Order: sequence, then structure tokens, then C-alpha cells
Amino acid sequence: MLLEQTGFADIVMSNEVDVFSGSKHESDAKEFDTRGVTVFARKPR
Amino acid sequence: MSANPVGVARVDRAVLRRFIADKYAEVATNPELGFHFHTGRPLAQMLGYPGEVVDRLPAANVRSFAGTGNPFLFGDLAPGERVVDVGCGAGFDALIAAQQVGSNGRVVAVDMTAEMRSKTADGARGMGLTNVEVREGFAESLPVDDGWADVIISNGVVNLCPDKRAVFKEMLRVLKPGGRIQIGDILVHKEVPQDAKDDIALWSG
Repeated sequence: MLLEQTGFADIVMSNEVDVFSGSKHESDAKEFDTRGVTVFARKPR
Repeated sequence: MSANPVGVARVDRAVLRRFIADKYAEVATNPELGFHFHTGRPLAQMLGYPGEVVDRLPAANVRSFAGTGNPFLFGDLAPGERVVDVGCGAGFDALIAAQQVGSNGRVVAVDMTAEMRSKTADGARGMGLTNVEVREGFAESLPVDDGWADVIISNGVVNLCPDKRAVFKEMLRVLKPGGRIQIGDILVHKEVPQDAKDDIALWSG
């Protein structure tokens, strides 16, 4: 994962949300299985 | 985040930035136009922002809200913390953060789009928040000193940047040791073909 590769630690991801459902972008989003997510990560001390 | 399936895009960064800035200038000035992504209060509700939090924000900032996550899902920010909002857009998250960190905290809200910066500044003035400073800048080169921030928030911005590694390295530079990111973005689970990666129109519709 890129966050780890760049030096972040303690990475936590939220549940995914189908943020494009019902939008004009829905078909493109479904084609690539695109979901919204929130990520927490920490810079090591 | 979306690094592996999206991979390397062969897009002209300056052209992409102009395209995205034009799109988000429309979101700032004409949010009722309708976009390929959701906006405003319905989106905030979808992402789990409490109604009473949204109610405290100016209507104009709520209407132009665009994001893909909720940086506050991992908890409120603490009073006195220093915050950088990377790609603050209409200021929706920056104004929430400013209320949480209070008068002893600070929020630096960075965006490349002038119309969005104006909207954020207007919102802060309207709410009487004196701890919000709006700055012009890019995610890959933040106008913030090394090790300044306790926390970086961002919402739906990293996916618009072709060099995600550079964005994360810049976030690390700006954070204090032990500092954290709480960022909303997108995950792409299927491989994106190279022609789609190189199609600027698909980056933000």
C-alpha cells in the first residue's frame, strides 16, 4: 500500500461507501468498482 | 488508496489542474448545476456527517460540498490542534475542524481553485471563525512549514492528483512526528486501462 511505502503507520480504513450510487458517474464507478473510503494513518515518532 | 489499480497516468499535470480547477469553480459558483458526483447536504448525509454539524455551517458552503469520505469518522479533532485541509474546496470540512480545535487551534485551508478559496474564507468570516487561514497551493507542494501540523484532513482530493506518492510525502513533511492524516478518498478495486488513466475527462467528469 502506497501509504506504508511512503512512511505512514497505524493505517486504518473505514467501511467503504458507494458514493457514486445514483449519480451521473454511477456507471463509470461501477465499471471500476469505485467506492468512497476514509483513511486514518500516523507519521511515526 | 487507489494507487495500484490506477497506477501511473500519462497526463499533463498543468492541463489536468486547469480542467479540475474549472470543474470545481463551477461547483463553487453554481452548485445546483448537477455534476457527475453528488454534492451538498445529501452527500454529507450519505457520508455520515451528523445533521446538527451540517446545520451549523453556512448554506452556501454546504451546497458546494463535494467529497468521498468523512475525515471526522475517526473522531473529533482536539482543542488547540493545528490542522491542514488539503484541497479544502468550499470549506465544509475546514469549518467543522475550526469549530472543533477552537480559538487556540488553527486551520490552514489550502486549495488551487480561487472560487473555492473565496467560498471558504467567506464561510469562516460568516461564522466569526478567526482561526482559519486560506492559502493558495497544491497538494504536492503545500504552503506550510515542516512539522507544523497535528493533523491533515482531506476529502476526495488525492484521487485527483496524478502523483499520489508525492502527495503523501508532502503530507509527511508537513506533519509533526506522531501527527496523523484523516482523509476521505476513493478506492478503485478493478484495474483501470491505460487509455482511461490518460483520459483527463474521466479524472473529474
